[in-house]
Amino acid sequence: MKDSNTEAETLFKLVEQKYGDKLTEEELEEVKKGVERIVEASMELRKVKLENGDEPFSIFKPYRGDEE
Amino acid sequence: MVTVTRERALKEAKKAEKAIKAGKYLGPLHGIPYGGKDLLATKGIPASWGAAPFKDQVFDHDATVVKKLGKAGSVLGAKLAMIELAGGMGYRQPNASFTGPCSTPWSLGHWAGGSSSGSGSAVAAGLVPFTIGSETWGSILSPAGNCGVAGLRPTYGRVSRHGAMALSWTLDKLGPLCLTADDCGLVLEAMAGYDKKDQTTTRKLYKYEAETREFRFGVLKGTTNNAQEAVTENFNESLKELENIGTVEEMEYPEYPYEAITRAILNAEAASAFDEFTEAGTARGLTAPEDHYGPYARTIILAKDYLKALRLRAVMAKKADKAMEPYDAIVAPGRTRVAPPIDMEFRKISSGTSKDIMGAIGNGAGLPSISVPNGFNEEGLPTSIQFMGRAYDENLIISAAVAYQGGTQWHTKHPKAFTP
Repeated sequence: MKDSNTEAETLFKLVEQKYGDKLTEEELEEVKKGVERIVEASMELRKVKLENGDEPFSIFKPYRGDEE
Repeated sequence: MVTVTRERALKEAKKAEKAIKAGKYLGPLHGIPYGGKDLLATKGIPASWGAAPFKDQVFDHDATVVKKLGKAGSVLGAKLAMIELAGGMGYRQPNASFTGPCSTPWSLGHWAGGSSSGSGSAVAAGLVPFTIGSETWGSILSPAGNCGVAGLRPTYGRVSRHGAMALSWTLDKLGPLCLTADDCGLVLEAMAGYDKKDQTTTRKLYKYEAETREFRFGVLKGTTNNAQEAVTENFNESLKELENIGTVEEMEYPEYPYEAITRAILNAEAASAFDEFTEAGTARGLTAPEDHYGPYARTIILAKDYLKALRLRAVMAKKADKAMEPYDAIVAPGRTRVAPPIDMEFRKISSGTSKDIMGAIGNGAGLPSISVPNGFNEEGLPTSIQFMGRAYDENLIISAAVAYQGGTQWHTKHPKAFTP
């Protein structure tokens, strides 16, 4: 959990630096909790192992306007 | 309602009347009025997205789904209230729309659900026989449940999203809310289909055909663990009814971080979809105080975590499909709670974290689900049951819901205040 806390603190500082002027102290506290929740969820995802070939379902297709 | 589309409705109604009189009947939706969630583009008519900063926004085109319903002869009567930005800023209370909190017609002191609030409320109040809502995670099933109407979340890609506000482009779905499951099938047929303006739409054709058969129902283990008493009681009664139309057995999805996967995708895509909005500080103009700061935390999601969630989603979809293969539908309460008081924060109502595995899998894997009413609590607020199916199995789940409604009367009940 220490890793999670450190990461959350670092990322929160980034949010604070970038958007602090748009938010009140109380709002920043709520944002901090939000960042902590996001980092905890990310940690949960990172724990799951995937194979090298496990790819997302992708819909990207090269585009040519005259072939629509 | 946000906007009553009077002029357009009269024009479309006259056109329908003329065509029907001339023997050019287009089908069951011809001349039927409907309402669209106010995140759908409608030419020359405001599409507010439920948010004060966009309340005067007007597009010069119709969303594909509006065009399709027009081709079926339907009449657009109104644009309907919704939670601001489809709830994408993390609202925690019913009062999160520039039009104010939307009531369920069953009790004006209770919430209609969201984010497709007006889409549920308008059908329950009998203002229009069907509406269009959208769901990223819960936004059709929630108002369907709170308002005691049928709500269908189609398979992702079944219905074009072109012209609808994007919250999370790999999770957003448009679907109908109606008085019955059968109506949902009719409306979906008119809405569905490939659209070159939405590359995620499927080329699989959809024709609504209800079938009679013995259904195989799976009941998610522990699905009522965090549910209110009335929700549990009514769900258990529903299971008895389902035994009359099929087999019922308990099932489980394998352990996997379903909620974390779907949440990460939603957060990352919403952060991108509303990037300019967030950077400009426009959230300050929203109604709910928590929506003023809601979009900032997710700006720090790392690209590798989003991509990991997308890769995990592919595994999740396969796991879910395999677990669902033996069944025609997985059943669960549509919502674990009835409509909350309209002036109360959600977190004051529910204690602890209530997991929504059905919502996480259903939306994360893009699976269809239909919610229909299955009773009331002691205050007269509706409860609901959902039937979730494998991808593209809308006909199966609708058929199951139709069969359920054939043996019950909940869908024939209407709020007294709105009954002539």
